[in-house]
Amino acid sequence: MNNNLLEVQEVSKSFQDTVVLDKLSFSVQGGETFGLLGPNGAGKTTMMRMIMNILRPDEGNILFNGQLRRKTKGLHFGYLPEERGLYPRARVLDMLIYLGSLNNLSRHKAQVEAIRYLDKLGMIEFTHSRVSQLSKGMQQKIQFIAAFLHNPDVLVLDEPFAGLDPINQIVLRDILEDYKKNKKILIISTHQMELAEKLCNHICLINQSKVILDGTISTIKKRFRENAFFIEADQPMGFLHDFKEINILEENNNAYKFTLTSRQFSLNDLLARLKGKVKIKKFEVVEPSLHDIFIKLIQEQAKSV
Amino acid sequence: MKNLWRIARWEFSTRIRTRSFLFNTFISPLLFTAIITLPIYFFQYQGEVSTKLIGVIDLSGQGLERELQSELNRSYRLENRSPEYMILNISLKNSQRYNQLLDDFRDIQSRTDSITILFEQIRDQRAQYFRNPNLPNRENLLRTSYDRLQYVREEKELVEIEQRRFKAALDSLYKHEAKRMADSLLINNVLDAYLVFPPNFLKDGRIQYHSKNPGDFRETDRFEKILQRIYTEKQILNDRIERSRIGRWLQPIEVTKFQLFREGQKEWNFFIQFYGPVIGVFLLFMAIFTAGGYIFSSVLMEKSNRVIEVLLSYANSQQIMGGKILGFGFLGLLQILIWFALTALFISLNIIPIQKIAYLNLTNALYFMLYFLLGFLFYGSIFITVGALSANEYDAQQINQFLRTVAIFPVLLSLIVLADPNSQLIRMLSYIPFLTPSFMIMRIPLSSASIIMDIYITTVIMIGSIILVIFAAGRIFRMATLMQGKKISWSELLRWIRLSS
Repeated sequence: MNNNLLEVQEVSKSFQDTVVLDKLSFSVQGGETFGLLGPNGAGKTTMMRMIMNILRPDEGNILFNGQLRRKTKGLHFGYLPEERGLYPRARVLDMLIYLGSLNNLSRHKAQVEAIRYLDKLGMIEFTHSRVSQLSKGMQQKIQFIAAFLHNPDVLVLDEPFAGLDPINQIVLRDILEDYKKNKKILIISTHQMELAEKLCNHICLINQSKVILDGTISTIKKRFRENAFFIEADQPMGFLHDFKEINILEENNNAYKFTLTSRQFSLNDLLARLKGKVKIKKFEVVEPSLHDIFIKLIQEQAKSV
Repeated sequence: MKNLWRIARWEFSTRIRTRSFLFNTFISPLLFTAIITLPIYFFQYQGEVSTKLIGVIDLSGQGLERELQSELNRSYRLENRSPEYMILNISLKNSQRYNQLLDDFRDIQSRTDSITILFEQIRDQRAQYFRNPNLPNRENLLRTSYDRLQYVREEKELVEIEQRRFKAALDSLYKHEAKRMADSLLINNVLDAYLVFPPNFLKDGRIQYHSKNPGDFRETDRFEKILQRIYTEKQILNDRIERSRIGRWLQPIEVTKFQLFREGQKEWNFFIQFYGPVIGVFLLFMAIFTAGGYIFSSVLMEKSNRVIEVLLSYANSQQIMGGKILGFGFLGLLQILIWFALTALFISLNIIPIQKIAYLNLTNALYFMLYFLLGFLFYGSIFITVGALSANEYDAQQINQFLRTVAIFPVLLSLIVLADPNSQLIRMLSYIPFLTPSFMIMRIPLSSASIIMDIYITTVIMIGSIILVIFAAGRIFRMATLMQGKKISWSELLRWIRLSS
């Protein structure tokens, strides 16, 4: 399997007087889970529509494996829009065959794949039901199937897990893992940071039409690590305030978050001092959550404007 | 290109199974045809179940009711050969007021009679006196008789004035009372109608026709014809001409209408020749708007539930538009073919008499298809645009309603088209693309002159307009469908048409 690459280079787009995207750049490697993050109205949907060639950028280029996106032929997309909709009166299988055949699957192949996925998602008994007879969650699963039934080259999912129960979330993640193995492009757009943190290994955060953060989760976390530690004991440790070598950031009952202020002072020294005084229940390096980083960055940007 | 067919196939196959398509194909044309033709059928072929009673109030004293009865009997009979109309002279035998007045009048009349007799006696006597010069006391007799004569004459004049006055009162009472009676008979459905002949009917020929529904042209037409004959006959008789000759003069005429076509002449029947094309227009209209309506609702639905985003990421907007137009176009064609097949079936079952309906031929069927295709492509592209632009169903329905009204407008002018299918006005109107299909479908069977030139011209105009509309629709469609819940301004619309992306 060759490794696919989707590059977005300095893409700008405006609708009338509103600038939606301003010189946006990022790239997505095949095989990674790319998270396109941002608050509402940041321009995520417009970006995705441009990747799918529904809209064209005013400036800049989108390249797929080095070739201009709008000139690539025969590229197949899977798309799960944020606002879900299907043909309410159609029958499940008929509709899946139709959507599959639009992506060059033969009708027979589309039928086989549709039934395979329906079975996988535990919906085989609804094969011939009308879409409108299904529950909302089931309709969502049908839409999932419609998005990746034809094994697309680029799969774009907008808020994929909203409204799904945990069991189905696991099933879907398995399917996505399988999909990634073929080194294809997978883009997930969401504003649920916990989800992005769990699912993505590369994120790009857009706010007010600009990229404000781009990188793998681990490098981002490294970048935003505050060198802070967390300690929790069986009783209050008010005496910690007397230590000049540490700076307490937060305290909550018997738990404290702190940084070391002196290079000479190590964690071993701290633990030595605590020995015998309290029983330590938990001690860890504090990792910043994506949620915190997101809020911090957006607030910073808001201040600077 | 493949996706175009796939979309067309999908739209075709999902819609053909819907109840609305079955209804529009089988039920509504029958309903339409029934609504239009049944009244005509009843109007023309109403089997007379019973004899109609017609009242007559004759103030002219000509005994018209007998003549009316015999003329009506001669012309109109029921299937069982009994007369269709019975004339009832409205009599006032039972009216107390009238009888009272009539008694008074008779008193006066007898007084007039006796005074006239007296006057004549005196006059005769006086003439004798006058002729006999040897009569004793002649001078005196002549003088006194002269005085008496003078007196009686004056008296007679007075009585005659009173009699005339009474006669007028009596007539007016008669008319009033008779009418009152006739009205009540009419209300109680004893009479179907009544006629009033005024006293000087023979001078000015004025008659009143009273009925609950004077709009029944068939009835009034019959009476007008018959009464005209009676009137003319009376006038001729007054000129002292033999009755035997009059009959020949008053022989009613009967007109059979023929329409001249290039291929020959055909007998003209107003209802068939006129309503045939009108039904044709209705069917054309229905075919265009059924298929167009489907396009419209399909775009609107895909826009509002965002399936369009998925579609646009799988196929481009031209394929989606083209697929819809193609799919629903085939649906419309299928609908028309079903109608043709049904018509053929009805003809073979002799429900529709083929020899009478000249326009049911292959050429006109082909024209029907041509104008369906042109109309459908034109309105279909407009519907796609409207569906894409509409922020919600409500807005969209209003535009839809407006377009329907525009397209059916030619039917309102159908009588003008009938009078002259090739008049300047109608020709100009049929060059307007919105109206072309409806007008042309009416004009082609109605026109006796060849309108092949207009068929070429309108086809070219239609094709030009279709290209224009499809071009604009293509520009608008993608942008508009991605918009959501927002009303799109005209300036935005024009910008989209000018720019390509």
